[in-house]
Amino acid sequence: MAMRAALRCLSVNFSPRLPKLSSAALLSATRLANRSCSQRTLTVTSGQCAALKFTEKHEWVLVESGISTVGISNYAQEALGDVVYCGLPEIGVKLEQMDEFGALESVKAASELYSPLTGEVTAVNKELADNPGLVNKSCYADGWLIKMTVEKPEELEKLMDQAAYDKFVKSLEE
Amino acid sequence: MLLQLRRLRPLRTGVQQARPTSSCLFPDPSTTGSGSGLVLQSQSTDVFQNLALEDWIDAHVDLQRRAVLLLWRNRPAVVVGRHQNPWTECNLPAMRRAGVPLARRRSGGGTVYHDLGNLNLTFFASRKAYDRQRNLRVVTDALRRVRPELDVRATDRFDILLNGHYKISGTASRLSRKSSYHHCTLLHSADRAALSSLLRPSCPGIQSNATPSVPSPVANLTDHAPSLLWEELLEALAQQYNSEFGFEAAPRPVDPSDEALFPGVGSMEAALRSWEWTFGKTPKFRLDTRLELRDEQLGARCGAGLHVEVKNGLVESCRVDVPHHWLPPRLSGALGEVLLGERFCPHRAAAALTALLRCESGQPHRRLQNLGEVLLAGMG
Repeated sequence: MAMRAALRCLSVNFSPRLPKLSSAALLSATRLANRSCSQRTLTVTSGQCAALKFTEKHEWVLVESGISTVGISNYAQEALGDVVYCGLPEIGVKLEQMDEFGALESVKAASELYSPLTGEVTAVNKELADNPGLVNKSCYADGWLIKMTVEKPEELEKLMDQAAYDKFVKSLEE
Repeated sequence: MLLQLRRLRPLRTGVQQARPTSSCLFPDPSTTGSGSGLVLQSQSTDVFQNLALEDWIDAHVDLQRRAVLLLWRNRPAVVVGRHQNPWTECNLPAMRRAGVPLARRRSGGGTVYHDLGNLNLTFFASRKAYDRQRNLRVVTDALRRVRPELDVRATDRFDILLNGHYKISGTASRLSRKSSYHHCTLLHSADRAALSSLLRPSCPGIQSNATPSVPSPVANLTDHAPSLLWEELLEALAQQYNSEFGFEAAPRPVDPSDEALFPGVGSMEAALRSWEWTFGKTPKFRLDTRLELRDEQLGARCGAGLHVEVKNGLVESCRVDVPHHWLPPRLSGALGEVLLGERFCPHRAAAALTALLRCESGQPHRRLQNLGEVLLAGMG
């Protein structure tokens, strides 16, 4: 009960405030999500558990019930600057891992987006059409970009977990 | 089509052929003694070939260990940014009449008019080395060297202003996986009359979230430094590029349509020419406008409303509100329906209208024809 309440609090806080969380806080937030997730889903295979994975291109992937949600990390949104336009694909488009699937235009440049996985686009965040700044304000929640199927779960396993990603970002900053 | 471009096989170095190949043009930097910069001068004035060359260099040249400056210019063309709406940015009917093509580039930013008096510079570098202000310093320093009296300065928006007021250069860029390119225009002696007449909306009444251009007053360098020759400008820029980055690259002419040098560039050019890219990539938009209808035979007039939604350049919905006394609703309804799914383009709409007109005669025919003509004009 207490755990579920904590999780609810966590998911409320997860949305708008997350980009301002320090890496350490984010790490403990996702660890908490993992623990409660695994307690509730003991009979499900490990691939079903919701945990953020990251690519070297600073995209995050969150898999729930076989559908992955894709967005860009806080590091990426900060580097991009204010997003003025999100060029995203149509629903139904099939992507291979690393395929270009769109671009985010900011004052900095038009930055290509690369598919983190192989799969089919099942949803596109319509809010971004009128409010592209959501990518900056809420990169892990309301600023999600697309949802897609996971055709090759082994690709997911090769992505970085939170700890590895934090380390990766640190190495770039040095 | 975009997805296909990324699957090209990487270059194999060390293959010697009689004709120059890309491996000759872009040798392994560790084998060249003197720095790893390259200055290329495109021999083509075709906007699609030049944009394709940019894409090719971005995709195939290892920019972690070298940098490239590409100098190019185009015969008259209008180039819109990646996420722009050509119907709001430029006068498509005027461009068609003048034979000026529309191109959409892969970088962001606003709409520009290109002609032989407008020099384009593309600075290719790794993502880490991406530095627009430094690149623009190359341009302003070069200009100050050849014409010290010119007051040229780069702004926070990465424009270059002459005398603090006239825009002589605008910037756009693209960031890919490992590489970046930053390109900018430089107005040497462009046709300013053509520029201002073509960079106007095609039709009123469009609402969209496409990225808008920021219009600015412009000037040519030759308006203020009439003796500045094109060749002089190019030479100064190449020299300053070398000086700024510590290279010793002499400008090399290249033919962007040379498949031996740039394998796969032809299909990149085809993709850039395609309607699906140029118009089809326009962000979804609405057109709401008033049409003024006339019946010349009876000397009568009527107002109507046009409401169109366009997605991927195709008509997603189209409603023509015409008073029933003017035209039977079955006809205005049929016109709306026949355009569904068609390209938002006067040629396609005209063809659809012709088919509809064949079934009518007398007053309905006359009025439907007029409605069609006015509608086509309203579509730009």
